[in-house]
Amino acid sequence: MDSNTAREFPSSNNVIAPDTEHSGDPWKFLKWLNPGFVLPLLAGALFLLLWELQIFHRIFDLKKYQLPLPSAIAEAMRDNLSLLLSYTGYTLTEAVLGMLIGSGCGFLIALAATVWPRWGGGSLTMVAALNAVPIVALAPIMNLWFGDGIGSRAAIVTATTMAAMAINAYKGMAAVDPLALDLMHSYAAGKRAVFRHLRIQNSLPYVFTALKINATASMIGAIVGEFFFSSRGLGYLLSNSIKVAKMPLGWACIVLAAIAGVIFYLVVERLEKVFIKWHPSRRA
Amino acid sequence: MKLNRALMRGRALPLLVWICGLLVLWEAVSWWLLHVAKTPLAQSKLPYVHEVALTLWQYSGTLLREGGATFGNAGVGFLIGALSGVLLAVLMSLSRTIEQLAFPYAVASQMIPILGLAPIIYGIVRDEQLSRIIISGYITFFPVALNMLRGLRSVDPSALELMHSYAAKPWAVYWKLRFPAALPGLFSGLKIAAPLAVTGAILVELMGAQRGIGVIMLRNLYYGPSHTYMFWSTVLVGALLGMASYWLMSLVERLVAPWQPEFRPQGGGR
Repeated sequence: MDSNTAREFPSSNNVIAPDTEHSGDPWKFLKWLNPGFVLPLLAGALFLLLWELQIFHRIFDLKKYQLPLPSAIAEAMRDNLSLLLSYTGYTLTEAVLGMLIGSGCGFLIALAATVWPRWGGGSLTMVAALNAVPIVALAPIMNLWFGDGIGSRAAIVTATTMAAMAINAYKGMAAVDPLALDLMHSYAAGKRAVFRHLRIQNSLPYVFTALKINATASMIGAIVGEFFFSSRGLGYLLSNSIKVAKMPLGWACIVLAAIAGVIFYLVVERLEKVFIKWHPSRRA
Repeated sequence: MKLNRALMRGRALPLLVWICGLLVLWEAVSWWLLHVAKTPLAQSKLPYVHEVALTLWQYSGTLLREGGATFGNAGVGFLIGALSGVLLAVLMSLSRTIEQLAFPYAVASQMIPILGLAPIIYGIVRDEQLSRIIISGYITFFPVALNMLRGLRSVDPSALELMHSYAAKPWAVYWKLRFPAALPGLFSGLKIAAPLAVTGAILVELMGAQRGIGVIMLRNLYYGPSHTYMFWSTVLVGALLGMASYWLMSLVERLVAPWQPEFRPQGGGR
């Protein structure tokens, strides 16, 4: 694998940019009536209804203890709400902590690779290779190094989030407008000034793309890390519930993990809107 | 061509230095942990490189066989998931209704920790072969569908107009124009999904299966320090499987869609 292929992985296009909303629209309530919103909602409701009426169970010949009904899952959520919420907080803490460290390291690697292209390119390839390492293989090793506390999961998340940031940030720093670069040169700007005024600015949209990828990846990393060597957290509760055949509780964990994942993603997206207002893709 | 080869050499040398440097550092830290710091379980934390290499060589038959079982299952799931993803993308590009129905779910599913479903699916199916395939396929499905859809949409409008002026049939437009245009998008989806499919397969094995690299990984972990070299070998094999899946996709991409700008030899950067 050469650094070319490494550079476009994971490319910025595994996150779909949402359509920019027209703010200040007096017909805002009409937005709720357009088919793009109503259709998926109806489909989701129908799906849940079929599930609740045990249609799926009949088609696939499943028992209720294998695939619990939505009502049972909701009940399990209600009964264990405080436990679930505290575990969600714990897992989110691991994810955020690891993501911050990992993204920071990734950004530094991208900086180094831009400053010293000849030797930095190799490090990018190494990081991209790290990205292809299955998380589950990392989990036991990190557990040996950092014990079974929060540190080992943060380390797993760090390892899984570094690559996306390094590769995307490098892309952003490298893909500067050549004319702007020429202008900087004509002002006799040094390397440092080029970085400060041009490359860092230019890399911001890419950095946020990486952060959005990492928001999802970090949740996965934290949960999978908890599967095996943990006594707390959503991943632990999930694998444990299944071991003792408490399927509804296991599904409740999935639902909460999904909600937490979506919220985390949306928070990053909001930050992006605040930080790069100037970017063309953000203009209405 | 000649230029390209020279560039490769220019890039390959630093990479080689990196790899060698890392291996030396690993060996040194391993020695330091064992003899200077006297950490408990030093060899489990970071074993000697040469010992792990020796174990890899000694048990290469077993590792290859189990790794092959994992890779094969992940591959089947990956192919099924990729094909379904492509199919959904084509349907979405054909019909606005289907797109409105499926697109929000496809995007939302990217924000959901998919791998967390592994134990649940295993709980439902209770068959390791099938659940490995399902998980790998499911993980592959969405990135491929989304990237393929973007690819199908990325057609140059003037090319479309040209096709219209030739009175091309819809399937001809798809076959001659949209599919080739969608290949780069498709491959970025495939490259994202391939290592994930391997990860998913190994995860299912750790939940309790009979065959596969994940099984011997877990077994050697439970045996403790005496089997640490074997455990590290399985970890390395897992890592290599993930990388191999990515490289395989890159290779296929070079063969199938060689016209992309990334593959062109580049001039000197500043």
